[in-house]
Amino acid sequence: MDFGFTPEQEALRRDVQAFIAENLTPEVLAEMDGLSEGFGVRPGRARGGHVEKLFAKIGARGWLGISYPKEYGGRDGDRISQYIVEEEFARADIAVGLGGSGGPAILAAGTEEQKRHFVPKLISGEYSFALGFTEPHAGADLASLQCRAVRDGDEYVINGQKMYTSAAHVATHMYLMARTNPNVPKHRGISIFLFPMDTPGVTVRPLWTIQNDPRAPIGTTYGTPRTNETFFDDVRIPASALLGRENEGWKVGAMGLNLDRVGAARYLISVRRDEDIVNFTKSTRFDGYSPAQDPAIRDKIAELWIEAQVCRLMTMRSMSIVEHGGNFTYEGSAEKVWAPEHGVRTTEAIAQMLGPYGQLLNGSPAAVERGVFAHNLMGSFQSGINHGSVQVMHDQVARRGLDMPRS
Amino acid sequence: MDTTLTEEEAMIRQSARRFLEAECNTRLVREMEKDPKGYPPELWRKAAELGWQGLALPEAYGGSDMPLVYLGLVLEEVGRALAPLPLHSTVVAALTLAAEGTEAQRAAVLPRTAAGETVLTFACYEQDPRLTLSGVQARAVADGDSFVLNGIKRFVDNFAAADFCLVACRTADATPGSDGLSLLLVDTRSEGISDNPLVTLAKDRQSEVTFRNVRVPKTNLVGTLHQAAPAIERMLDRATALLCAQMLGAARKDMEMAVEWAKYRKAFGQPIGAFQSLQHMAADMLIWIDGGNLLTYEALWKMDQGLPAAVEVSQAKAFCNEKCEAVVRYGQIIHGGIGFMQEFDLQLWFRRVTSWTMRFGTAYEHRARIARALLDVPGRVVLGQPLPTAG
Repeated sequence: MDFGFTPEQEALRRDVQAFIAENLTPEVLAEMDGLSEGFGVRPGRARGGHVEKLFAKIGARGWLGISYPKEYGGRDGDRISQYIVEEEFARADIAVGLGGSGGPAILAAGTEEQKRHFVPKLISGEYSFALGFTEPHAGADLASLQCRAVRDGDEYVINGQKMYTSAAHVATHMYLMARTNPNVPKHRGISIFLFPMDTPGVTVRPLWTIQNDPRAPIGTTYGTPRTNETFFDDVRIPASALLGRENEGWKVGAMGLNLDRVGAARYLISVRRDEDIVNFTKSTRFDGYSPAQDPAIRDKIAELWIEAQVCRLMTMRSMSIVEHGGNFTYEGSAEKVWAPEHGVRTTEAIAQMLGPYGQLLNGSPAAVERGVFAHNLMGSFQSGINHGSVQVMHDQVARRGLDMPRS
Repeated sequence: MDTTLTEEEAMIRQSARRFLEAECNTRLVREMEKDPKGYPPELWRKAAELGWQGLALPEAYGGSDMPLVYLGLVLEEVGRALAPLPLHSTVVAALTLAAEGTEAQRAAVLPRTAAGETVLTFACYEQDPRLTLSGVQARAVADGDSFVLNGIKRFVDNFAAADFCLVACRTADATPGSDGLSLLLVDTRSEGISDNPLVTLAKDRQSEVTFRNVRVPKTNLVGTLHQAAPAIERMLDRATALLCAQMLGAARKDMEMAVEWAKYRKAFGQPIGAFQSLQHMAADMLIWIDGGNLLTYEALWKMDQGLPAAVEVSQAKAFCNEKCEAVVRYGQIIHGGIGFMQEFDLQLWFRRVTSWTMRFGTAYEHRARIARALLDVPGRVVLGQPLPTAG
């Protein structure tokens, strides 16, 4: 066991911190605020001139895709270094982390051509994926999905509907899970396809969430103002769009999803909130009342801080396993139980500390921190629902971690 | 950063587990609940042959100079087996002597401790249930070449078995620049000591010890006169973190027994472990124990690096107190009625873990200490980075 960082990793952290201090000018921040979509501003999505330049600079430093292989645009670096970059930028509302459904899945299952085509551009931000998993009648039981892909010569023809394709309006490509064989047990007839969002027959319709009116301010860490439903009507894509082998998409998808739902990506959602609650409390007074001196609040803040440490350490565990080249047995699912439930406890506790101020939304007179706490309260429970619900994750911990029987 | 066990760490844990599986069954655990000394000397000697008592002591005094993390791994296994050994109190006192004692004190006590010929303990608690040095009222007054010690210590582990006890006492009033506390190495056979055994939930050996005009040679002063508070705090932090490891080992075993039971016991035509309501309880047990493990080993690792670890220790203990208690309660619930029958072994784990949650700081105290570090020192806090320090 080693709970420290190497001198090189510490130096990298200081470099990133110095970069942020130097480059997050008021003009950049003003532009970022208008671009907020939840989870911070990402490369490769709607961006203005200042943010675009900022991402180009970050890329020039070599900080995107550190842990990816050199031949595909990465730096052959370690996962912890990549994490340090992601963590420091997350504190500045800039999301530089790359999910598992994308680069890692393509590296694990893609053809050489797919790797060369996609991975460098995913790292640079030129490409990004919308994830097409959930359907109107397939959520927790994802493998029962109905969206069809039928082989026709050198093409597949896609028909169906996906729900909660959150990035569909800004992504360049679709990462689609579809049924290629309806005549076998449900897990064995699924495939994954990668294709451009502007392929004819793809229609994206917005679904506005409870965080859209008023729009959640930048700094909101949970949830998103907008998601989408995406329709596929006779969408014809080349057979080369298939990722991995036909009908073996469940395994590829599960691997990518596991990496989406654990590790840095999961933890970084809450890291700012966990720090903010302490820093906000210690610096805030309401007339003569100082929450930091309230014994009940002090006890609760310490309790949440301990929970946050457990989130951090579970993330370090996930990355340690990845660094050793291992696979999660239950650790990823455990993290996906603990972190979302902690997020809910945190946001609900802040609400009880703020009392009536906790209800004020972005733009309201007297709102604290632009209403970010109220907006988070509308989003934190969502992280216990998306990417595999806390209840499903509990099942997985029991069955994979403790070998408990199926009912 | 690597939270996985190295090969050597895994080996230490594995060999400790194998040894205790062979040497310590629950018949022995139950026997020792009624034994006046509370431990089998034979097992204590065998533990010394494996080098447990001296694991983290300097090589010069017969130890192996290994990190506290290794000691944590061994104590985790001791907790798992509920091994009735006075290991925790002995190593905590020995580590303090190694760090703060004089050359003569170390030479006199540590080699014999490492050899398994000596049992040690330490005494801090008095009337005040909190783990606070303001509760130390026992007084030692200089008289010729000795101190004369008076006071009543409570919750002293293994006093009946111990040869020496490190006693925290007041030698002067607190003044600016001096806490007025001192640490004395007291021979437990000294005249004027009476031992009143406490009856505890764990049925372990804790005592209320009365010191009446006990003469302690001045050469037995450990560390600096009137300035012992930092040394005592370091001792209590080590004691707390190592107890967490012991608790977690026991709680994990309790969880494993509950899971086994849930696979075996049938209701409504299927194993009760197939019901999601039980699966989710079991999943929480695993998540909590893992969380406690990560917090505890981070605290021990920081101490090994010589880094400040007070907040990390408190994080671990506050978490373990509440979560390990919940784990053993769930273990009982999953077992149903059989779980609290005296002759069924599960209760042995329940009683000990429950007792350990109350030792060396309650969840409230530890959270209060964390809150002081988070809220009372100016400066921004950052997760995963050292907290701002005063001055």
